[in-house]
Amino acid sequence: MKYFGYKGKILMINLTTKKTSILEITDEFARKYLGGNGFSARLLFDMIDPRIDAFDPTNVISIMTGPFQGTYMPTSGKYHVASKSPLTNGFFDSISGGYMGAEIKYAGYDGILITGRAEKPTYIFIDDDKIEFRSAERLWGRLTSETQEMIKEEIGDPTISVSAIGPAGENLVRYACIITEYRAAGRGGLGAVMGSKRLKAIAVRGSGTNEVADPEGLENWLKWYNEESKKVPGISSVLPTYGTPSLVSSINNIFGAMGTRNHQTEYFEGWEGLCGETLKKKYWDKDTACPACPIACSKIFSVKEGKWKGAISEGPDYETIYSFGSMCGISDVGAVIKADNLCDEYGMDTISCGVTISFLMECYEKGLIDKNFTGGIELKFGNDDAMVDLVEKTAKRIGIGDLIAEGSLRAARIIGKGSERFAIQVKGLEIPGHSARALRGMALGYAVASRGGSHHDPRPTGEYAGASDRKAVEGKAAWVIGTMQFTTIGDSMIICHFLERLLGFTLNPKHAEMINIVTGFNYKFEELVEVAERILDLERAFNVRTGIRRKDDTLPRRFLEEPIPEGPSKGMYTDEQTLNKMLDDFYTLKGWDKRTGIPTKEKLIKIGLEDVAKELEKL
Amino acid sequence: MSIVISQQKKPFIRFDPQKCSFCKTCELACAKYHYGKYGASISRITIVRRGMKTLKYFICTRCEKKFCINACPKKALSYINGNIVVNEELCDSCGKCVEACPFHGIKLHPETKKPIICDTCNGEFQCIKSCPKNALTLVWLSG
Repeated sequence: MKYFGYKGKILMINLTTKKTSILEITDEFARKYLGGNGFSARLLFDMIDPRIDAFDPTNVISIMTGPFQGTYMPTSGKYHVASKSPLTNGFFDSISGGYMGAEIKYAGYDGILITGRAEKPTYIFIDDDKIEFRSAERLWGRLTSETQEMIKEEIGDPTISVSAIGPAGENLVRYACIITEYRAAGRGGLGAVMGSKRLKAIAVRGSGTNEVADPEGLENWLKWYNEESKKVPGISSVLPTYGTPSLVSSINNIFGAMGTRNHQTEYFEGWEGLCGETLKKKYWDKDTACPACPIACSKIFSVKEGKWKGAISEGPDYETIYSFGSMCGISDVGAVIKADNLCDEYGMDTISCGVTISFLMECYEKGLIDKNFTGGIELKFGNDDAMVDLVEKTAKRIGIGDLIAEGSLRAARIIGKGSERFAIQVKGLEIPGHSARALRGMALGYAVASRGGSHHDPRPTGEYAGASDRKAVEGKAAWVIGTMQFTTIGDSMIICHFLERLLGFTLNPKHAEMINIVTGFNYKFEELVEVAERILDLERAFNVRTGIRRKDDTLPRRFLEEPIPEGPSKGMYTDEQTLNKMLDDFYTLKGWDKRTGIPTKEKLIKIGLEDVAKELEKL
Repeated sequence: MSIVISQQKKPFIRFDPQKCSFCKTCELACAKYHYGKYGASISRITIVRRGMKTLKYFICTRCEKKFCINACPKKALSYINGNIVVNEELCDSCGKCVEACPFHGIKLHPETKKPIICDTCNGEFQCIKSCPKNALTLVWLSG
């Protein structure tokens, strides 16, 4: 390859036949799709029959790097996983921290594509160009930390990188995740797809290197980063000191936008027990970071006294404090630390798990389900014993845990009685801790995002910061498109979204500059915008083929009909008419058909996706 | 910072495991300084996270016993001005020094197959300088 940051090779693995092959990546392909998210969007559109069930052996898991992995670029210590999701049935990708990305690059690949289903529990060991299918029978049923340790011991090398699923993935919990160290490719059930393939883990050892096109440019970039980041309190002091729990007090108290008791309100009176200051003072043990990251937002918290004494976790992050804390009406963060660690060890998304438990708590309190249904559990808000117990039961699919493992949308369809209106999800994916009612951009963003209720398609940060008026309707579609272009490019070159505080909340020339330093593409900004649109529209095209249309771009009825009842954002919500207006604006700006929500032929041709347009015409 | 290393004193890189965030920036900085590119296999310092809170780190400690020098059948290694220096002409890449080092402070370069050992970056200590958490400090031990 003439460009830097790439190895020009993707490793293809078929678990059914135990055969491997190499897919060559051309210069043109790299420039057109960039890496990570972009590579996955293109390859999965081409490889997956959209009609299949996510657990079908022909589903594909795409584990990708971008050009930045294994370099010195700050916050590049990440990797990307994508597949057809068992939770949303659509295209789904998740970014995880951990050394896996660098290790794949050093082993000589830009990514790995895995299809088929192993006959027996298996893990794959990739040792540069040597690929081994190894038995995982003694690992099956093991927690994620044990699994990683046992594989490192078996290989006899503690420096290798291992990404593993836990019992939740094996048991096909629809939001099971993939764990590397203690970081997660968290959302959308990618771990369950691995489980359906009887693939317990991937271990990688790479002896190679990665290089950048313009080393001097990178030195200058680092100097700029070091200087400028000092002026951004978020990444120079707040995240390093408190991590994401720092968001609790501002989102709850200043914005009144922290979903509480399944979003019956958005102000949690027990916030003090959950906030960053409390965690730092009473629970903090040490800071940890993803590779190549100077921020170190991740914290190890442990419970020193009281009911949950002895619980320890890397985390919880803000989203987990929301899902297991305020959403379940729990103000003792000890229980949240316990639940967070159980989710890491069993390999489960904390957001979907907590939000689904919170949904069932509301069903129970409203009398839609009773003790017969819950298996004798007094499933009231604030019952932290029940919450922690249910996390474990969910991973093992025991009792009502079997229902929780299906996620809130499927649970609501089984319970019925109008409960779907307060299942806090979009397209099946539970909504995280950034209010769709208090932030107008998130209302539109959640509705249109290809992943559904994800805060990493649109971003809330710019609205919190006031860069976009959080109440405005006019101009919101353009703002949301800008943030989505940023996240998709961030997930393709692969940097952490937290750099938005430094680089800007929407896609901008600074991103092109970074990519050019590493790859030598010499992108003009306009070309990068086109790359972003290409990736976003490919994701949409994937989903269109699974049946997604404008009618699916919506929010839970609760958010469209019930204003926030109290607090600083009292009265705020986005009604259906307002959402429809923003959707019209969004589709118009995107070049998607306003009636159907399908990308138009003209738009697709303009961004170099004529073949995709032809595929969509067949529908 | 430029340091002349005397025969009497030797540099020792001390690690504070409480401060270390496992980011491995030191590995990247080491590789970059010596080879202009990035890779764990070409870093002379190695960080391994063990469990949730602890780590192990591997780097030449300039130990008393000089296990590597004694293990080399070709007499390719010598101790000069506080560093283990490799004579690449004499070295036949047998790897005996790698096996002999109880501190796992030596690797063979994946391409040249010659030993790579901490050389203080000519007194520039890129690992120490690059650490965003100030987890590494330089101490001088009597040689």
